[in-house]
Amino acid sequence: MKRKALATGLLVFVSLVLPRQSPAFGETSRLVFVQGRYDGDWNPRPGALRRLAFEVAVRTSIATAPEEKVLPLDSPELFFYPFLYLSGTRPLPALSRAEVENLRRYLTFGGFLLCDDAGDGAFAASCERELGRILPGRTLGRIPTDHVLFKSFYLLSHPAGRTLSRPYLTGVVEGGRLAAVISANDLGGAWARDEFGAWSYDVVPGGEAQREVAFRLGVNLAMYALCTDYKDDQVHLPFIMKRRR
Amino acid sequence: METFDDWKLVLLAPWPRWALFVLAALALLGVILAARGLRPERRRSRRAILLGLRAASMLALLFFVLEPGVRHLQTATVKGRLAVLVDGSASMELPTGEGRASRAAEAAEYLRAVMPALSELERTHTLEFYRYGEKLQPLSGPGAAVEPTDEATDILGALEALPRGQGGRRLAGVLLLGDGADNASLSRGMTREARERLRSLGVAISTVWTGDGRARDLAIESVRVEDFAFVRNTVEVEVTVSAAGMGSLEVPLSLQREGEVVAQKSVILGPKQERQTVKLSFVPDRIGEFVFTVSAPVYEGEATAANNSETFVLKVIRDRVRVLHVVGRPSWDQRFLRTLLRNDPNVDLISFYILRTQQDQPRAPEHELSLIPFPVDEIFDKQLWSFDLVVFQNFNYRPYRMDRYLPNLQRYVQEGGAFVMIGGENAFGEGGYDQSPIASILPVEAVGAAVNEEVFAPRLTEAGLRHPITRLGGSVEATRQAWERLPPIPGINVTRPRPGAQVLLEHPHVVASGQNAPVVAVAEVGRGRTMAVTTDASWYWAMVAARSGEGGARHYERFWLQAIRWLVRDPDLTRVRVQAVQRTVPPRTPLAATISARRADYAPAEGARLEVDLFDAVTGAPVERKVLETGPDGTARVEFAPPGVGAFKVVARAELGGVELGTGQDVIAVRATTAERGEARARPELLQEIAEITGGGSISSTARKLPEMRLLEPEVVEVGRSEDRPLWDRFWLVLLLAACLGGEWVLRRRWGHA
Repeated sequence: MKRKALATGLLVFVSLVLPRQSPAFGETSRLVFVQGRYDGDWNPRPGALRRLAFEVAVRTSIATAPEEKVLPLDSPELFFYPFLYLSGTRPLPALSRAEVENLRRYLTFGGFLLCDDAGDGAFAASCERELGRILPGRTLGRIPTDHVLFKSFYLLSHPAGRTLSRPYLTGVVEGGRLAAVISANDLGGAWARDEFGAWSYDVVPGGEAQREVAFRLGVNLAMYALCTDYKDDQVHLPFIMKRRR
Repeated sequence: METFDDWKLVLLAPWPRWALFVLAALALLGVILAARGLRPERRRSRRAILLGLRAASMLALLFFVLEPGVRHLQTATVKGRLAVLVDGSASMELPTGEGRASRAAEAAEYLRAVMPALSELERTHTLEFYRYGEKLQPLSGPGAAVEPTDEATDILGALEALPRGQGGRRLAGVLLLGDGADNASLSRGMTREARERLRSLGVAISTVWTGDGRARDLAIESVRVEDFAFVRNTVEVEVTVSAAGMGSLEVPLSLQREGEVVAQKSVILGPKQERQTVKLSFVPDRIGEFVFTVSAPVYEGEATAANNSETFVLKVIRDRVRVLHVVGRPSWDQRFLRTLLRNDPNVDLISFYILRTQQDQPRAPEHELSLIPFPVDEIFDKQLWSFDLVVFQNFNYRPYRMDRYLPNLQRYVQEGGAFVMIGGENAFGEGGYDQSPIASILPVEAVGAAVNEEVFAPRLTEAGLRHPITRLGGSVEATRQAWERLPPIPGINVTRPRPGAQVLLEHPHVVASGQNAPVVAVAEVGRGRTMAVTTDASWYWAMVAARSGEGGARHYERFWLQAIRWLVRDPDLTRVRVQAVQRTVPPRTPLAATISARRADYAPAEGARLEVDLFDAVTGAPVERKVLETGPDGTARVEFAPPGVGAFKVVARAELGGVELGTGQDVIAVRATTAERGEARARPELLQEIAEITGGGSISSTARKLPEMRLLEPEVVEVGRSEDRPLWDRFWLVLLLAACLGGEWVLRRRWGHA
């Protein structure tokens, strides 16, 4: 009897804690995060995207795939998954011509790239350099905090990650939308959990509150990738202005 | 023996004119030289005598050289012409005053009364009778009937058209008879240019007015509005109303669209404010061409009721296609469609995306979220009709208690709206729509089968090969190849087409109720159109198609933009078009229109049978029907007999080989009146001014006498023989010349001059 009650309790607990399996219409209608693979330290924060997918599914109506995909940057298969995550602790090696061409088409025709520096800023700088090759002529600049990215789901006042190395995000606009966003604050470090469910890294200097901001930024990035400037529509402005005050 | 009654001085010398000038100059030179030679002479009397003698000599010499003479003549007096112009315009049908005879009858009566006086003038002048209106036309005689039928009055044009020197006889005067209601160059009164033109006629115009200018009448003088307006944008119609002889009154004006009142306003008119301009404004809620009528009540005793309303056609167009995009959850399919719609400058996109359901846990208080309540009531009750197209994308209506609003959506489509449902786990049968009030407007219906997640390449149907939505290439073959090159897509809501729907794209092997499951299907529902896209992966045609480097997203864009154009009935995608030759016509004018019909593949439909009906746009009552056939270019022209005053719809239904091609329509407004008939007030002041400028007299016809006539005097011309009698061959003139020359020579010698 005890065992039965325990099993029932466990089932209820699991149903509450585990992400709801959104009844999406096949895998491709879900948001599938793709981790870009390159020669080097391409996965410094294992489990980060899995956790972000979980949080996005729990917090929003977006249906996500629980596991990320890993694909090389010159893969045509990237086009089935328009959200690409690129992370590293060291500078990104110069991309091959095929990778540049593939990413140019990917970003031009609707793909979204998130570059996350898990190191000392060298990876972010190298991503900015490579973006200059991928989208020549586009200006890479700071994303102001009144950009729709900071209100696409949560109302945020600043970016954050495992660290607060750089208090701003940079980005490249293509076709009227942010096609690439670069963070130097190790977002993945704040998101990642180990196999036992514990946070992989401490978040400094803000602790758990800062981790929450990092998750909210992750949710906003996912929401922006799918809804772009929806929250800039006229109908939302009075509500958002009121809450911002 | 010849008798002469006149004479004149002439020069008989055969010299040309220039030679005469040379001789005169030489004579003058002779006098000047003499004057110079006399400078040393101190005594003025001597100088004067010598100079006088020289001048007399020169004159006498000129006299001999020019050979002056007297020409005796026989002359005759030529009669001038007196033109009598009678107004034959339609405004002469109006009464001269309340309860009195028409102006035309009054003019005829006046002419009869003054005919004896005119006959008197006939002794010195020839009488010519004309009627004027749109143009000047000669009358056969003084008694010829002048029917008031002309639809314009051009007084100045008529005066300028009068022959000036017909048969060598000049125009000596004009008698102008009418109401002065000019609606050509003098419509706005006398201008400086008009004065000049009148003066340049060089003849006195005497005028006689019929009607006293105090007719009791309310008139809508003019209606000013743009040729087209934008739907859902305020349109202003500027109406000028005038009242004469009505006293003070408040006139309610009404603006109607084919019988439905869309705006009302009152205007106060009185003796001190006989004319007012007011603006009637309204917001057109649907596109198309409509007949509008501005009208005022008809009061008792008005000179005419025809000018109490004015009709015009207004084309209402959309400035941008207003799209309502409702999305059940963010997805790539929604993202790509949103990007396409946002980037299209012709689309005004209003979006509502469900970002959080009741099961989601954002882990933040409301004030830290940017979410807004889904304004179901505002959208689906109040604003629905303001949209051209509503898109439900994978949207589950049930959590939002929308059951009570879905009948609105059904009615919206029936009344001309457009609706698209895009697939997903919350669409079609999966979303419970098969049991909802909008099941009947969807092109497909659920079959109870589960969602099929298999990847497949959609297949074009025969209809899809030619339909403007799925036509991705310039030809059938190009369209087929374009679709074959697009990447396969995963997932479909398994449905079957509803009766009357057209399947354009289907699953190659998933079958429901014996038919391949539709992927894209369309339907005409009442006056609206609907489309079903039973997949949520059309974004593959943009993003995945771009991976190969061929074509990019253009097929995706083309598919959706063509779909929107078809759904909102873009006129260019209509297969049967009716185009009125003239959308606003004066009364008693036949109504004509050109009809073009296209086949399913949008090629000209030669030999299509057309049933063309003319309806009263207000009552819907049929007026006339014509059946005809299109020519090789797929067009035909139809003409209906003048139907009377009002708003009319020409509706054409085309059929080819027993298959209906569609229907089209246009509107035509038959105006209640023309400018000629609408201006009831006579303008005696204009006729008086014409007389004053040209020097003629002016009088009312009621005086029954001629006005002061300042006719040019008859011309006198030479007729028969003449006789010249020279004056220069007189003996005493020779003596005078010799005496002058001799005298000068003697006195010069004597007084010491050379």
